Amino acid sequence: MSPLYWERHPEGPFATLIRVAATYCSPDADEEAYEGLQRLAKREDYEDMQVFKAELREALRDPSQLPDGELSESVQYDDGSTEAFLRRLWRDLYGDEPFDTPRDQ
Amino acid sequence: MGARDGLQDEPDISVPDTPRQLALADEPADGAQPVSPDDPRSMGEVYAETRQRADGGWEPRQFDAPRSELGRFNPERAGLPPISLDAADEYIAQHRTTRPWLAAAETASPEARRILVALDAGGGHGHIRHEGGVTEEASMRRAAYREDPAQLDSEKRTRGIDGLKPDDRPHRCGDIATRVTDSEAFATAFARGVEHPKVRALLDLPFDPDVRPGEVTVPITELLDADGHQFCTGWQLELGGETPDAARQNRADWLQARAGGRDFDGPEPKVRPVSTFEGGEMLFVVGRNRTGDGYEIVTMYPRPPWPGQ
Repeated sequence: MSPLYWERHPEGPFATLIRVAATYCSPDADEEAYEGLQRLAKREDYEDMQVFKAELREALRDPSQLPDGELSESVQYDDGSTEAFLRRLWRDLYGDEPFDTPRDQ
Repeated sequence: MGARDGLQDEPDISVPDTPRQLALADEPADGAQPVSPDDPRSMGEVYAETRQRADGGWEPRQFDAPRSELGRFNPERAGLPPISLDAADEYIAQHRTTRPWLAAAETASPEARRILVALDAGGGHGHIRHEGGVTEEASMRRAAYREDPAQLDSEKRTRGIDGLKPDDRPHRCGDIATRVTDSEAFATAFARGVEHPKVRALLDLPFDPDVRPGEVTVPITELLDADGHQFCTGWQLELGGETPDAARQNRADWLQARAGGRDFDGPEPKVRPVSTFEGGEMLFVVGRNRTGDGYEIVTMYPRPPWPGQ
């Protein structure tokens, strides 16, 4: 069985968030990859990022909704907690834009 | 930035091997033998191999490579530069001093050697950090202390500085470090993985400089046959009763305190051998190639079965 959450649960909750975060933020991704994600976050032609942003909002609103341990296992962040990682990610990608709004504008 | 770009001309490949540093990894496994005076291995390597045998069930063995199959490998299918058998030999002769991990390729079959050299000429680092040229000790220390096997300066390696990135950036490693212990097995898994539909789906994506295709896994049994797991070893960060998040944070804080010469209240990081790779997967990570105009496999390494790592 795959250790990758999105391979085990391709339609599972937060599958896009976890896949994208692992792809661009795990130890296997370098700074260039992270910079690519920052550019992608500003592009409107990349559908994956719309889903990603919506799931990131949901996760920030209530991190307990995330499948247990999957984000940590996939991303291997050193931020100390899921909340700290998600907040850093939002800040790096969307700056001061509030995440706690009803829907993406 | 490619794997070749961050290297120094005069590498120091000695490995820190003090009793204090070894004590940080954990207690020796039962049955550890004293090092014979004529054993060429370091104390640290004997310790790591002994633990891997006792706790990971590993035994050194040689992979029976499908040489004719490897001979048909086309590097360009993997986004790598084409290379002949003779050119591979010349490449090793030219770079063996500054790229010591090529020693593993030097002793491999000509067909496997050509694959490993093609990888080295690309931008990937799987063969540098996860292949037979990496020792058990180096793999153990990577998981425990984030020491990069690709870092040739021993002082920088001890400080956790990445060996392939510019500007002395810190090396990152998750809570597990693994390797394929035989160069022929590594080359075979890579060559077969390149043609696997899941890997091809990522390699064949239209190139976009902002997009990283990502990660996929393939069962080890599909790449190295039924006993392929016996050519894989790994070391995993011990949680010490904490969550994985807290254990990694503790390791990061401990390393930062050590680098700054400060005391730290938390426990020293410890690692243990991965108990088995039977039922495990090979992870392929696809990203931008060295020249930034296409995709290649930037790394490949084994993962233990899920769950139960």
